[in-house]
Amino acid sequence: MTTASVPAESANAARRSLIASDLRFVLLAALGLALFPLLLHPIGGYAGLATQILIVSVASIAFNLLLGYAGMLSYGQAMFYGGGGYVAAILLLRAMPQHPNLWLAVLGATLVTAILALLVGAVTVRLYGIYFALLTLAFAQMVFFIVEQAKDWTNGDDGLQSIPNAVLPFGPWNLDLTQSLPSIDLGIFGNLGDIKLWYVFAAIVLIAVLLFTRLLTRSQFGEVLTAIRENEERSVMVGFSAPLYRLAAFGIAGALTGLAGALRACYDGTVAVESLSIERSGQFVVYTVVGGVQTLVSPVVGTALIMYLENVLSGKTTAWRLIEGLIFVAVIVFLPRGVLGTLLKQREKNPRSIFVRSLRPRTEEPDPLLKPVAEGHRAGPMSIIETFKLGKLFGRFAANHDIDFRVDPGELRAVIGPNGAGKTTFFNLLSGTIAPSTGTINYKGRDVSRVSGTNRVHLGIAKAFQTASLYPDQTVRQNCRLAALARVQGPFALQVLRRSTRLDDVDALAERAMDRLELTGVAEVRAGDLSHGDKKRLDIAIALATQPQILLLDEPVAGMSKDEARKTEGLIRRLSTEMTVLVIEHDMEMVMGISDTITVLHQGTVLATGTPAEIRDNQAVQEAYLGGHTEAELASG
Amino acid sequence: MEALIDALLNGLVQGLIYVAIAVGLTIVFGTLRLVNFAHGAFYAVGAYTGLVVAEHYGFVTGLIAAPIAVALFAIVLDRVVLRYFYDKTPTAQILVTFGIALVVEETLRLIFGGTTQQYPTPAFLQGAVQLGPIAYPAYRLLFAVGVLILIGLVWLFLIRTDYGLIVRAGTRDRIMVQLLGGNIRQASTIVFALGAAVAGLVGAAASPIYSIDPGTGFEFLVPSFVVVVVGGLGSFWGAVLGGLLIGELYSITTLVYAPAANVIIYVCMALVLLFRPQGLLGESEVIRQS
Repeated sequence: MTTASVPAESANAARRSLIASDLRFVLLAALGLALFPLLLHPIGGYAGLATQILIVSVASIAFNLLLGYAGMLSYGQAMFYGGGGYVAAILLLRAMPQHPNLWLAVLGATLVTAILALLVGAVTVRLYGIYFALLTLAFAQMVFFIVEQAKDWTNGDDGLQSIPNAVLPFGPWNLDLTQSLPSIDLGIFGNLGDIKLWYVFAAIVLIAVLLFTRLLTRSQFGEVLTAIRENEERSVMVGFSAPLYRLAAFGIAGALTGLAGALRACYDGTVAVESLSIERSGQFVVYTVVGGVQTLVSPVVGTALIMYLENVLSGKTTAWRLIEGLIFVAVIVFLPRGVLGTLLKQREKNPRSIFVRSLRPRTEEPDPLLKPVAEGHRAGPMSIIETFKLGKLFGRFAANHDIDFRVDPGELRAVIGPNGAGKTTFFNLLSGTIAPSTGTINYKGRDVSRVSGTNRVHLGIAKAFQTASLYPDQTVRQNCRLAALARVQGPFALQVLRRSTRLDDVDALAERAMDRLELTGVAEVRAGDLSHGDKKRLDIAIALATQPQILLLDEPVAGMSKDEARKTEGLIRRLSTEMTVLVIEHDMEMVMGISDTITVLHQGTVLATGTPAEIRDNQAVQEAYLGGHTEAELASG
Repeated sequence: MEALIDALLNGLVQGLIYVAIAVGLTIVFGTLRLVNFAHGAFYAVGAYTGLVVAEHYGFVTGLIAAPIAVALFAIVLDRVVLRYFYDKTPTAQILVTFGIALVVEETLRLIFGGTTQQYPTPAFLQGAVQLGPIAYPAYRLLFAVGVLILIGLVWLFLIRTDYGLIVRAGTRDRIMVQLLGGNIRQASTIVFALGAAVAGLVGAAASPIYSIDPGTGFEFLVPSFVVVVVGGLGSFWGAVLGGLLIGELYSITTLVYAPAANVIIYVCMALVLLFRPQGLLGESEVIRQS
């Protein structure tokens, strides 16, 4: 009891300090936003501009959530911004012209854009880079032209004017946001009476959005989202569903952008098709990149900077758009971290806790994704994984064909073969990285041929890569924690507010995986800074933290020194007492030393299977390796 | 019937403009793996150069000056800014070329004002040609033939010259070409300038057909992206096929149900990206690398 209460207390303390930090953040933001319109006055801005900046900032924050945290460059954010504006305007004009209610209009618009974002996201999130940018752009253009043509509802190119001034029912009051604050002369900082209630409302919304995104980026969800951006291959192969995470991020960003667009339309009293244009989408890109990505408030700084300059300069020179473009290019070329990012030059770090509790036993539940095995392909009672006539075509080239393969539980099986024999392809088929062209894979007697790699990890098939696949910017501990988190939470969890540190099992699993691979000493080292051997072992530790029943190791000792290789060999031997291990390796000393059985692949299919002694004496195997020459011939040639 | 033939011919002319821009986009992507959002700016710069030169020295001189000016502009751009971005992520490339496009557009606006301009068809090319039941403007026909010849010349450059060989090999494996001693750097610059010159020439040649304003670059760039995606990013004949397809699709939809014309090309692009992301004639390995 006493041992349990210590971590509980420190957990409470940690939680309290987190809440205090969030509170500090909100107070600082509130103070900054209270001073903002006053400070804007002496340098040529005005209160209305401050309100517009705050509203547009919400959309920039949403854009940064995509670009900075999820790594998705969307060129179609205007479809949500303008879309939100149109929905709010149409709701106010058509649904409640008599009693315009701002809450209903804005929430309705946010909801509609969230749905739009999920629909568009459902088809776009599987694409990357330029393809994702262009497809989001294409959808935004579709929305633009549809809105432009739906003249009965949207008034076409003229846009919607005289949107009724909506009241904001709040408790017993019906607030009219166009009312001004009490008139107090503040000297060079202008008059408080110039500021309308709209500004206060926009500031409250912005603080709420900032707090929400702050919690989100540090939450379990944000942690996984960042991991997927950093290394998607690894994230998928520890069991995270990358498309679902990206879709959720796209949906959240779309909803926030719609919120901003709705607020802007209500504030302006008009909405025009320009709010849906490519130029609009480009503006969010400019604001965010100028401010900087990857810090939370930098898009706000970028938005304020550019909108302020636009306002001041557009009165003085016709070249302000050119200046804006030049600033944008200069920032990309000279300040890739953005204006604020360059000023701060530090990265926020996630504080992590280290409480350990007993491991949750692994339960075996039938997976609904699994189909019963076709008759005649039923695996023997003993096999844990088995393939029938497995094949993979790349174009017309058969990298694998007709592979019949069977491993018993607890076995340590080596897969060897000359370069190009199809070993890695075979492992990719087993782990679900690629889908087979022909044949089936049975795992514990069930057909998993069509189960995705992510879901296979959750069934107990984990893989370490030929070239170690890590999260280079995270610590060794965090690398293992991410894998353990996938084990504990499943492929997807919409935990956008709570941190993963509340899940004690995650830390325990990570700790155990590091311990097994003798990485505890370097637990706090950045993975990218590890030596080659430690990187390879960390890759195995990551696979191990998913609690696999079959561990696939693709050349675990490749490139290691002899001593390191022998050390790793020992670690693998120990792992094999607890789980089935499949290993691809060229180090024959190791293969012959540790394997129970060896399978030789040659030209894409199984050449021989047997004990190390049988394989060593096999004539066909010798020919495959030596190309039909005798060793003497090769030595003399 | 007359309307249909007219629509098909208009679709051909518009499609060929897309082809001319898309060919540059696609060969630059093929060799440099660079996605160039500033490519539309070459079209606009060519059109304005042609306009200015033609006013003083005649239309034909304008057609000669435009591609030369744009090629020089492209080489400067490549040497001064873009070469630092060859090895960056696609996102960084999109952002910087997007920024350059903004700067060019605004510079043009500053010099020439925001109003729409159009160069009159030169007197010796006015008139119409009788094609079966309809009379079609002679200049448009000549323009179409000219662009086809231009595309043919670009193709010959790619398959007949040493530079073309390096470019085609570079599309397959850039690093290998460098290891074999191919001067891909120099070839890349030439390809970049060539793509720009083609866009600039067509920009100048099309100005009697389509009016220009500083935003024209973007207006043509976006459909050209549709074209390269539909045809297959990096594929020469994909750009040609995609351009003609999109041009005709747009033109025929305008005839059938005009409000849908602008939407349909984006629907077409979305469908291609979803069901054949490498494009109609693209190779699937390209998509994995980008």
